[in-house]
Amino acid sequence: MGWFRGRVLALEGLDMEVKRGEVFGLLGPNGSGKSTAMKMILGLLRPTSGKAEVCGFRAGTIAARRQIGFLPENPYFPNFLSGTELVRYYGRLSGMGGAVLEKRIQELMELVRLGGEAGKRPLRTYSKGMLQRAGLAGAMVGDPEILMLDEPTAGVDPAGSREIRDLILELRGRGKTVIFSSHLLEQVEDVADRVIILHRGQKLREGRLEDLLTRKKEWEVNVQGLKEEDRKELRGWLEKRGVQVVREGAPRERLEDYFLRSLPEEKRK
Amino acid sequence: MMGSLRRITAVAGNTFLEAVRQKVFAVLLVFALVLIYGANYFTEFSFQEQFKFLKDLGYASISLTGLLVGLLGASQLIPGEIERRTILTALCRPLRRWEFIAGKYLGLATLLAVMVAIMAIAVGGVLGWKEAQLIAREGSDPAVAAAIQKEARDPRLLQAVLLLEMKLAVVAAVAVFFSTIATSTTFVMAMTLMVYLIGHLESVAREQWLESGEVASWVAKAFLAVVAFLVPDFNLYNLIDEIIAGNAVSWRSTLEVTGYSAVYIAVLLTAASVLFEGRDI
Repeated sequence: MGWFRGRVLALEGLDMEVKRGEVFGLLGPNGSGKSTAMKMILGLLRPTSGKAEVCGFRAGTIAARRQIGFLPENPYFPNFLSGTELVRYYGRLSGMGGAVLEKRIQELMELVRLGGEAGKRPLRTYSKGMLQRAGLAGAMVGDPEILMLDEPTAGVDPAGSREIRDLILELRGRGKTVIFSSHLLEQVEDVADRVIILHRGQKLREGRLEDLLTRKKEWEVNVQGLKEEDRKELRGWLEKRGVQVVREGAPRERLEDYFLRSLPEEKRK
Repeated sequence: MMGSLRRITAVAGNTFLEAVRQKVFAVLLVFALVLIYGANYFTEFSFQEQFKFLKDLGYASISLTGLLVGLLGASQLIPGEIERRTILTALCRPLRRWEFIAGKYLGLATLLAVMVAIMAIAVGGVLGWKEAQLIAREGSDPAVAAAIQKEARDPRLLQAVLLLEMKLAVVAAVAVFFSTIATSTTFVMAMTLMVYLIGHLESVAREQWLESGEVASWVAKAFLAVVAFLVPDFNLYNLIDEIIAGNAVSWRSTLEVTGYSAVYIAVLLTAASVLFEGRDI
């Protein structure tokens, strides 16, 4: 907002709760309010009405921000720093220092595969995937309870994207809560426990993926080695019992899996 | 408290490092070239005139370089971070906004202090070099040699350096204040320059207005009082010109101006923090 500019309603009546230890997906087209919601949780934007709490603390307070590690939509990092320097800077901003910080940096740079020489290079020489990984290390440096990732795989190639996905799953395994936004729905499907769908600042749907996506009236069995005559017999058996065959045929692999399987071993990592 | 200090120094260190890696110190090379050129100029004049010229040139170059770096650097501090959106990744951490402002300012003030110190040392070096040259040429008479030494090794120049540091620190604080409400660096630079000019003119205007007796109504007095309160009086730093001209300036006056500068910096940074606190990022 500013002089001679109208007000824009970015979010309206949003009511949501994220449980400890779950991976929560914020879905919606561009301009639906995903980033605004995240900024409000971080205290970078103030809601005109309503409130948000993080682990029992009012959103935006120092205590609340201590609980969150944030990775913004695009890698907005001071590009004159190296990867290691970036994580050190964010660690110091989180109030860390000394040997504890240095040990943490080393662990994290190894975890995001930017250890050794790669970590010493200036960020301006990094690929998008490397920048996101450095940003993730920066988000994790204060060992926060919650990781908030805004489009973490945007612009990252499939291999890098899968790495980030695996990292999210690993974080969930460590008991961390992950809130992330993405418009790559397949990826959300792979990692999210629950999702919320936003459109023009309003909530359209919310729930567990299992509940939202399972077609409860259908049943799927994948088998191997079924002969043509057995197939015919099976179809007849089902029709005789009044069961409608909705879909039949050989299942297809996902393109992402096929693509990654086609790459040489070292490129997949 | 320790946490606050650690966060402020982290922001300050990063600000300083950014300037260093952007090769801001390269301007010092130009400064050095100007000095060396100046040292070999006017050699046909008396040694007093040569030293006066060198000191004038040194002061003018330090002042201009410092003002440029301070103005450009300070106007980039916050709007630049907002434009590049790097501010998001800093302010989402357990970092208070006033700590961010204080760190940014501290980083810039340190940069200016280091630059002015290096330039002052360079001026000192050139004065020493000139002293050696002149003593070799004209210093066979011990009285002349002593006079040359006195001109070259003037301890009052330290006072001038301190006052200049304070002046630049106030200019930087004005720019930081405007940068917390601005969306563009142009606005910050224009407003800071305006305050700089008004700060130079206000005391002259005040004397003119009030002594002429024509417009000294309560409205005019109130207006002048508001301007005097809001805008730092940059004429106070004219003490530097006195020192360069060879006139004695007491340490008491120097410290008074230093204190005045410190109060203005504190007020400006506090106001900047209050304004920045409510800003949506």
